[in-house]
Amino acid sequence: MRATPLALASLLLAVGAPVAYGLLIRVPLVRNHPGAYVMAFALAVALAVVALAHGRGRRWPAWIALGVSGLLLVAGSWFNLVGARVPATPTALRIGERAPDFTLPDATGRPVSLAEFRGKKPVVLVFYRGYW
Amino acid sequence: MAELQGLGAELSEAEKAGVEIVAVSPDPNERSHTMAEGLHLGYRFLADRDLAVCRRYGLIHAHGGPNGEDVPRPATVVLDRDGVVRWMSLSNNFQVRPDPGDVLRAVRTL
Repeated sequence: MRATPLALASLLLAVGAPVAYGLLIRVPLVRNHPGAYVMAFALAVALAVVALAHGRGRRWPAWIALGVSGLLLVAGSWFNLVGARVPATPTALRIGERAPDFTLPDATGRPVSLAEFRGKKPVVLVFYRGYW
Repeated sequence: MAELQGLGAELSEAEKAGVEIVAVSPDPNERSHTMAEGLHLGYRFLADRDLAVCRRYGLIHAHGGPNGEDVPRPATVVLDRDGVVRWMSLSNNFQVRPDPGDVLRAVRTL
């Protein structure tokens, strides 16, 4: 087994995983399993280790692959487990209770109140971070 | 924004008429308006500039923004015609949002 193809496979996996996650962010199955890219980084580390331990030929590509995938594994794990965590905070909303009313300006500046929809339509309220 | 687009894509025209999708963010109105027009989704984008509503609802991710500012905790809430909470999803990881299919199933049971 030659070391260079294994090292290239490791690099491709390590760099390709976050790129694929970014491209497929609109697919809920992909978006909602960010752990998958961390797994891909771990697999890329394993490939680089195999290349170094058993591979024949040039070794520097395998060292580069190990460096890149190792760095991505640490950064990706941190982001997924710490950086992207949203602390659980007590919410004022309870299933079965009426949501508190509010009035906010819409995109044209007109004030819209939640009570306007009462007795008319179900409402899906989506709170989002904005710049995301 | 990805979850908003997903929600719109799965809603039929008839359902769009029967349910009000209200998106709340601290984004200024001008930016939301541009986005609302770009997406052609018929959502209502409401600007909670000072996060007063998010705070009242208990949906704040303290210091969660890129510059350490408070941001909304991503949440999706389904209210019935009486304004009663019937379903909600609060994310514990801002990468993860409810599957639009799950939201629509909750809407369809109303």
